[in-house]
Amino acid sequence: MSTDTTTEEATSGFNIQPMKQFEIHPLFGDGAIHWYTPTNAALWMGLAVFCAYLLLVVGSRGRAMVPSRSQSVAEMTYGFVRKMIEDITGKEGLKYFPHIMTAFLFILFANLLGLLPYSFSTTSQIAVTGVLAMTVFLTVTILGFVINGPGFIKLFWVSSAPLALRPVLFLIELISYFVRPVSHSIRLGGNLMAGHAVVKVFAGFAGALGIGAIIPITAIVAVYGLELLVAFIQAYVFTILTVVYLKDALHPAH
Amino acid sequence: MTDTPDPEKLEVLDQRIKAAKAAIAPAPIRESKYEKVSLAWRMVLELVIGMAMGMGIGFGLDSLIGTLPIFLILFSLLGFAAGIRVMMRTAEEVQRQKVARVAKNETAQKGQK
Repeated sequence: MSTDTTTEEATSGFNIQPMKQFEIHPLFGDGAIHWYTPTNAALWMGLAVFCAYLLLVVGSRGRAMVPSRSQSVAEMTYGFVRKMIEDITGKEGLKYFPHIMTAFLFILFANLLGLLPYSFSTTSQIAVTGVLAMTVFLTVTILGFVINGPGFIKLFWVSSAPLALRPVLFLIELISYFVRPVSHSIRLGGNLMAGHAVVKVFAGFAGALGIGAIIPITAIVAVYGLELLVAFIQAYVFTILTVVYLKDALHPAH
Repeated sequence: MTDTPDPEKLEVLDQRIKAAKAAIAPAPIRESKYEKVSLAWRMVLELVIGMAMGMGIGFGLDSLIGTLPIFLILFSLLGFAAGIRVMMRTAEEVQRQKVARVAKNETAQKGQK
């Protein structure tokens, strides 16, 4: 958003800038952003990692047989992800548990931290979700070739079709293989961004309405509840799709 | 005093047990509205992204080789087909989940009886 429109809206008294919360700015000073500049996005991503550390390392520090509250939350999270992998891929998928657990916890905590007032929701940036999806995509593709050898390419070679059609179908299958990770990263980012923008728009109404603000404030409470649900569901959806790809790599035959 | 229990009392007890069991039985799992909306979004996105990716690949190839409309047209068609392919696969997956859910609900109901 350019500075012209910002001042214009500020003078008109009706000040709604739902997309301003997604702007990335440096933590210190106002200079240009280089790849090494510490920004608000970097800060909140670091905080998400730190929260995962708090839950898993500090939370389960007691190592009690009868777990404390925080330890049992950590254990339940672990068991939840583990069971999800085991249900979908079977025992041989459990080797890749660390990657999936890491992605799940990072997305979950980034989503939840984004719900705090004045925070920055890192998972609303396509750049972040895109990289997450790309790690999954690269892992699964490389793994597929390592485990199955060049035979992994058979995943795209539809042998049940007539021979003349197979090259065309090969291209189609190849493109659709690339569509899925892009679609997931856009979905995760879009869901988060839409929800936060909606909250911001309602908040803008509340500022302009005076005593009638009770209606948008009620709406914000409702949308916030929905956002809490979305934060969990999106983390879950992203993880479960990762596991489904993993299954494709382990057993490429449909 | 007889050893055989009163059949009427047994009948009443039976009904009470049934009612108590019905109260604690898990509600059948159903799709929520949110899930339906997100499914719709997912399918639309897959279709659009497939098309956009095909066009991107086609345009890239064209600008590399210098045959502008040919690959663009070819690959946008292929991309469209790929989008539909992914969408249909998603629909298939959802259908499978639905069947599994119905089966689970039925077994749960049988377990009650």
